[in-house]
Amino acid sequence: MTRNVAIVGGGQTSWGDRDASWKDLAQEGGKATFDAVPDIGPEDIEGLFVGAVQPERFAFQSHVAPMVAELLGIDVTKMIARTELACASGQAALRYAWLAIAAGQLDVALVLGVEKMNLGKEQMPEMQASMSNVLDREFDGVNGLSAPPFFAWYAQRHMHEYGTTREQLSQVAAKNKSNAAKTDFAQFQREIEPEDVTESPEIAPPLHLYDCSGITDGASGVIVMSEEKAREVTDTPAWITGSGQSSMAGNSINNLPSYDGWPQAREASQEAYDQAGIEDPLKEIDVAEVHDCFSISEIIEYEELGWVERGEGGQFIEDGRSHLDGDIAVNPRGGLLGCGHPLGATGVSQALEITNQFQGTVSSDRQVEDATTGLIHNLSGSASVHSVMTLGRDPQ
Amino acid sequence: MTEQPDSTDSTDQSGSNDANGSVPRTTVSIPSEIELPDLLDFYERQTAEHTQIHEFYENLDEGRLTTTRCLECGETHYPPRIVCPECMSDDLEYVDLPHEGELFAFSESRGGTPLGYHDTSPFVVAIVDLGEVKLSARIDDARYDDLEIGDPVSLKIVDIDDGTERERVFYRFEPRGEEQ
Repeated sequence: MTRNVAIVGGGQTSWGDRDASWKDLAQEGGKATFDAVPDIGPEDIEGLFVGAVQPERFAFQSHVAPMVAELLGIDVTKMIARTELACASGQAALRYAWLAIAAGQLDVALVLGVEKMNLGKEQMPEMQASMSNVLDREFDGVNGLSAPPFFAWYAQRHMHEYGTTREQLSQVAAKNKSNAAKTDFAQFQREIEPEDVTESPEIAPPLHLYDCSGITDGASGVIVMSEEKAREVTDTPAWITGSGQSSMAGNSINNLPSYDGWPQAREASQEAYDQAGIEDPLKEIDVAEVHDCFSISEIIEYEELGWVERGEGGQFIEDGRSHLDGDIAVNPRGGLLGCGHPLGATGVSQALEITNQFQGTVSSDRQVEDATTGLIHNLSGSASVHSVMTLGRDPQ
Repeated sequence: MTEQPDSTDSTDQSGSNDANGSVPRTTVSIPSEIELPDLLDFYERQTAEHTQIHEFYENLDEGRLTTTRCLECGETHYPPRIVCPECMSDDLEYVDLPHEGELFAFSESRGGTPLGYHDTSPFVVAIVDLGEVKLSARIDDARYDDLEIGDPVSLKIVDIDDGTERERVFYRFEPRGEEQ
């Protein structure tokens, strides 16, 4: 019943503290996407899926999917929606496009993730207030609990339980930020050394500024197509081979399953691996874009995505196994730590990186050789929700 | 926070009567400051007309930290509920939680702090282990560098002064033995 679905290409704005509005970013991102896939234009799009987390608060604009349709001249004939799943909103949009096409409802979709977050220094506390309410506002946000101290707890507990070191956190940040120096749209394009991380200001100890992803404006888009249509456009798409999600019945502090791990990431990835026929992820996956919202996140993800045992994530980075020339090239794009994290755009940009890695169109100094199997991962909110998608150079 | 200039239009006539058909121009004033609206307020509207867990806040106002327990299946919830997520029963009772617990994890918010709290930064925010439940809470009278996992903490009640007549409460914790 289901059909093969492919990402044929896409494009993105430059990311950072942009002199641009939400609508400017949507237009730039849409143009970049269509420019990168010259055979597809707005007139071909049947389904439009917009990943956007807080346009109501950051741009005072709701109902943004029709806004994007208007800005890009798309008469949507089949399906239109905006997806909100906090930091996984972009991947959620991509997942819905995949489902709609796999189910035979439509053949050509645009997935566009957009976020405008830099509103000026004066507005930063208000922006952070909105962000901190992804947990239970009444019982968690009310304590001034924003993302940095929340993930600092996980760093503290992981160090406490497993002996993960401050140095290992720094090694993750240095790897990803240095990868981003090879990525022309990234927010932070400067190579750093691990010792630079602990010299940056402490935001929420044990986390320093360089352990944290950025506050970022940006948009990223991909064109997703059925096999029949995709083959008319390119010989080298990225096939969506698996897509898993897991969300537990817990979003607030008392109801999380673990404070040093994410069982839902394990479940979501296992579901995606099963669909893709991946039996040994460490051996089979060549390139991965995982959700390094904070340095500790990537270490936990090595474990929960099934690449190493729980507690061994720190050693995985220390041994260089997630570097460009390691067992799995993790975050060659530079991740959220290097590229920044325009919430709704992040998952889309991760998928575009894997696509471009397969197509051999990324900057040669971050090209992973002979990459045929890729993965993207996002967590959202209190990390009780995980989304994992596997991509292949072959449809299976 | 209190100044609320009226929103008024004033037409600036100077220069707008030129010949040559120049375009009329006027100034439209919008408030430069507004009172903190409830939709930007982290603290819940706590009374019975706003929330069905008002008993939690009434108990807190009396110095008791409580939560709901399901009379059907026995599950203890936190935060308090009106429907048991385990068995869908709405037959719940309020039970007392301990007022003393241990630090399970903690950090100190020094940057990226939310509106309404950035003026008080840095502050310690922690997971407090009360045994049956764990909750997030601010830890008053403490600095990150002086704390360790497992340190004992005890409950304190805070009265929320929002500049209105409204009386609201919430809870924080503080290192045990430093109560005033």
